[in-house]
Amino acid sequence: MPRSSFSPKPKCSPIWLICILLGLSAVHTHGKDVPTVPQQVSLSPNLETQQLTLSWLGGESTTFDIMILRTELNETVFYETVSVTADKISGQHQWNWTSVEPLECTSLSVQIRSRDGQTTSDWSDTHILPGMDLPSNKDSQMFPQDRVVSVGTNTTFCCIVEEGLGFGSIRYRDLVMNVTRLSRRSYAMTQINQGPSGVTGTNVFCSSDEKTLLNGAVVFVGYPPLPSDLVCETHDLVSAVCQWNRGRDTHLYGKKRKTYYTLNGRDCTEANQNQKWSACSLAQWDGNFTLVARNLLGQYSLTDSSELSLRVRPVAPANLTSVVRAWNATLLWQWKHRGYDSLALICQVELTSHWHTTTRTFSGVGLRSVIVLDLRPDEDYSIKVRCGVQQNFWNWGDWSGPLAFRTSIDIPDAPDVWMWIERDNTGRLMWKPLTHRESHGQITGYEVTLWSPDENIQHTETLPQSICTVPINLTHISTTGSSSNKVIATVIAKNAAGVSPPASIVMPLRWTDIDPPAVSRTAYMDGGFPLSWQSDANASCGYVVEWHDASCQQDCAVEWIKVAAENTNISAQSENFQPGVRYTLSLYSCSSEVPQLLQRWEGYMEELVPSSSVPHLSSNQQDSNIKLSWGEIPLVSRRGFLLGYHIYLNNGSQLMLLANVSDPTSRSYTVKGLPVGSYKFTVKAYTSAGEDTGATVSISLESYTDWLILEMLASLGTMTCFLVLVTFICYKKRKWVKKAFYPDIPEPKLAGDWSRTQGPLDVKPSPHSMVHIVEEPEWDSSKEALVVIPEEDEDEDETGDEPVDTDEPTSLRYYNQVIDDRPIRPRFPDSSASSASSLDSARTDVTYTGIQTSGNSLGFQLQPQGSSEGQQPQIDVPASCVDGGGGYRPQMQPGSLSQDMGLPAPQAFSEPQPTKGASFGGYQPQCSWHLDSPVEAEESGGLAPSLGSPTSVASTQFLLPDSGSKEQPEGKGQGSSSATTWFHNLLSSAKP
Amino acid sequence: MADRRTRGMTGTEPSRTTAARAAAIAEQLHHECALLLELFRKKESLSPDLTVADGRLVTVPPPSSQLDTRDKLWRLHSALLQCRSLLERAITKEEEELGGAEKGDYQSQRKTVRDRLSLLLANTGELLKATDGTAVLTPSLEGLEIDGPTILFEVKLWIYRIFKELDYWTKTAITTLQGLPSVTAKERGRTTAVRRRRSTRR
Repeated sequence: MPRSSFSPKPKCSPIWLICILLGLSAVHTHGKDVPTVPQQVSLSPNLETQQLTLSWLGGESTTFDIMILRTELNETVFYETVSVTADKISGQHQWNWTSVEPLECTSLSVQIRSRDGQTTSDWSDTHILPGMDLPSNKDSQMFPQDRVVSVGTNTTFCCIVEEGLGFGSIRYRDLVMNVTRLSRRSYAMTQINQGPSGVTGTNVFCSSDEKTLLNGAVVFVGYPPLPSDLVCETHDLVSAVCQWNRGRDTHLYGKKRKTYYTLNGRDCTEANQNQKWSACSLAQWDGNFTLVARNLLGQYSLTDSSELSLRVRPVAPANLTSVVRAWNATLLWQWKHRGYDSLALICQVELTSHWHTTTRTFSGVGLRSVIVLDLRPDEDYSIKVRCGVQQNFWNWGDWSGPLAFRTSIDIPDAPDVWMWIERDNTGRLMWKPLTHRESHGQITGYEVTLWSPDENIQHTETLPQSICTVPINLTHISTTGSSSNKVIATVIAKNAAGVSPPASIVMPLRWTDIDPPAVSRTAYMDGGFPLSWQSDANASCGYVVEWHDASCQQDCAVEWIKVAAENTNISAQSENFQPGVRYTLSLYSCSSEVPQLLQRWEGYMEELVPSSSVPHLSSNQQDSNIKLSWGEIPLVSRRGFLLGYHIYLNNGSQLMLLANVSDPTSRSYTVKGLPVGSYKFTVKAYTSAGEDTGATVSISLESYTDWLILEMLASLGTMTCFLVLVTFICYKKRKWVKKAFYPDIPEPKLAGDWSRTQGPLDVKPSPHSMVHIVEEPEWDSSKEALVVIPEEDEDEDETGDEPVDTDEPTSLRYYNQVIDDRPIRPRFPDSSASSASSLDSARTDVTYTGIQTSGNSLGFQLQPQGSSEGQQPQIDVPASCVDGGGGYRPQMQPGSLSQDMGLPAPQAFSEPQPTKGASFGGYQPQCSWHLDSPVEAEESGGLAPSLGSPTSVASTQFLLPDSGSKEQPEGKGQGSSSATTWFHNLLSSAKP
Repeated sequence: MADRRTRGMTGTEPSRTTAARAAAIAEQLHHECALLLELFRKKESLSPDLTVADGRLVTVPPPSSQLDTRDKLWRLHSALLQCRSLLERAITKEEEELGGAEKGDYQSQRKTVRDRLSLLLANTGELLKATDGTAVLTPSLEGLEIDGPTILFEVKLWIYRIFKELDYWTKTAITTLQGLPSVTAKERGRTTAVRRRRSTRR
């Protein structure tokens, strides 16, 4: 240390020194209480440690006040009382002070005084430790430079600004720091708790006020070394190689700061600085090893000790060679050290082929060759070896370099053969292409032989190596002489080393459609379809499991796997399985005969939602319900096992589930209970993966009342037809009806000629008749058919409106109002005459009594036209009809009366009224008979048949009041009325 | 003068192709130098707002309009030779003193610049041969601070200045090489040809 450079040099001569000492001695003698002022103060700085050593002569004092100031600004840096004992030999006092700032930062002034209790001496002279900021040093500077410190420490840097420039800032890395001014040109800052620095250290920059870089410093913050795991071993049985873990990163790099290692005192210059593990060698095995790691921040030691025999780690085998064959190879190598010849070694051979590595272990004394078995022909191998000692095994040695070789070729394996028979008796013979491992060399081709064992006919074909399927026309074979039902196909593979063993299969000559017992489902799992079956006694050579796309119909891609006879379960695996495809898997037994189908499965690798919706979706209204119908989704589109159908009501924005048809075979569904309106229905088929997009159909549901009306109309139509039929039958059988229900009245026998002179018929009722009239007044209803003209009021039309009820015998005048203009045959008398004559007949009194009774209504004249118009004046007539119930009244037409008179249906008749068509408008028996029974008329000798009736004699002319009937054509009027009136007549005649 | 000529120049004009190629290499090197400077500043946390005072490390004759092509080339070649010496020394010193042995972007770029500079020097050497016959230049490192400083911060500044110097001289090389008469004539020739073609079309 340049201590002397900072100590004031004594310049006094010895004489003067003696004088001074004497003087001081005198002073001391006179004032013993005052401590002596420290003398010969000297300052010795250590710039690296920033430590200042003060030494002085201080007499007997042991306590001193020390004051350190920054000279330029006169700022106190340190002022304390310290106890310092004098060195016994030199008598000097010495005390160290460590500065926070580097000692170069600025000049420091030091003063010391002795203290004895409260009494102190005078201060010593000021001693200055000059800084680097003296005006003589004009350049900018920074301190400390290249400092190496431990992580976590504090470091104070100072920057001395170049003379004439202004201070700007101090940055730690790129961080501007707070500074303290030490002097006119010196500024300081402190970085506390520093983190580890980078490879090239941490930079501190000092810049001017104009941001010009003035100077800077680099500080390296790191750790002392901390190695571990020292292990020493020998390779050559003589020397030692020690390895250790370098431990944590010291963050100290560069030749001055890096870690240096020594092993047993020998520098380990070969220790790699950039690896986690370092190694160092010693020429001789020492038994005890000490590693010392050292850097600027500290050092660390590790030790290891062992006998040599326990630490033998062989070197890597050298010069590997091989002798290669098809199925094995001999591997040879050499050792560098002769000591290995007698060393029991254990060696590992690592064999790599197609990125697959296997390790085999061999052992022997001085082992230097091994035979590696179980290799494959025509295969590339890479091989390497490492060894260890058998006894006191310590560690495997290093691997040798790899040796590559290729084994020789050999004959191929037998191909895996299978067949496929189509329905048209065409077939395919297939075999799997031999893999590289099976071919044992490049396959040059295949030889296919078809042999019929019964006929001993053989056909051989040679195929190139690219072919692995051959079409076979079984029909052709069966028709060309073979009486057998099978043919044996044999395939042989060939390569340069020879031919493979033959692979045979028995093929049927005809396709037989034998369904398996059942087709069950299998679920894909763990990369395949798990299949299991019952053992089959006929499966002498095992089983074949074959699979293909279930939707395939022709030239299907078939895969198969052969299973040993003792196995009854496998997992059918293939890289070609596709999700959403149904596969059919078939199990065949293998024997000397044709393979027999034993079992069949179907399954999906992964079920998906159907790719298409139900086809042909339609809707029909059935009554008030809607029936939805659809077709079957094609198999290829199902992409999963259909579980059923969802029926949705589609309202445009959302679907409302109506039903879940869980039967996948169902093809229809009936929606019930919907009100009238328009609907859209969506049908979605679903699998376990979900439902398809759905098919939608629309329908407008119509009201069912239309159908009701239609049914009613149909019923009415049926009834009408029935009535028409009955009417027709009655018409056709009218004679029978007439005879049965309305027999002819015997014709009266009249003598003389009945002129047809028209005129009033005056009838004078006999007293006898009058009696009858009184007794049977109700019979006036029968007179309706008569036109009664009272004798007195013949010309008065309306006088007859009021019914006349009198007991006075009255001369009745009947007017023969003939409607029918047909000539009356002369032999028949006029109606009036007949009427008159009939009055004389006792037998007909009853009848005429009825007529007379109707004479009660002689007060009015029944007009034929008025009957159809419903004239009111006749309104009383039916009332009398009702009252009149007894006697014979065949002419009575209550229905027509009521109709013609516009009256409601009379209460007296509960039977249905005849229709209008059946209306005959009054009683016209003669007219009807005349037309309806022309034959009878002829039989009666051209006489009007009505004349046969005693009633008709009187009424033929009189009982024709109905003008409606009169206006009708004869034939038509009779035809329409005759069929319907018989009911009425029947009823009328049935009454007493 | 940092270099000394061992044989006189003959005054033949440099190859056009070599000059153009050298100019292109100089441009590439200039770009790579800028990137290297950027990486250095980033690595050393040298804030962009801080100005580092320039200091010439390469000593060559001052530029003058009086210099002919051969002298310009010689001056450029000499400066680049000094740059390469400085760069190699800087790399060595940096790895020794600062432990920059790891492989990072900065180290990779530093190597790229060094290789590119050698390529440029080979081209400028060819140009010099073309102008000076068999002229051989012997680099002189006299006056070069080839050992560099001992204080590590100053070492870093020294390295930075070497990069800056190289940046400066690659820029100068671009100007010089593109300003060579052969290149100029070539460019003129191209321009004239284009003009003639244009006038012909018109």
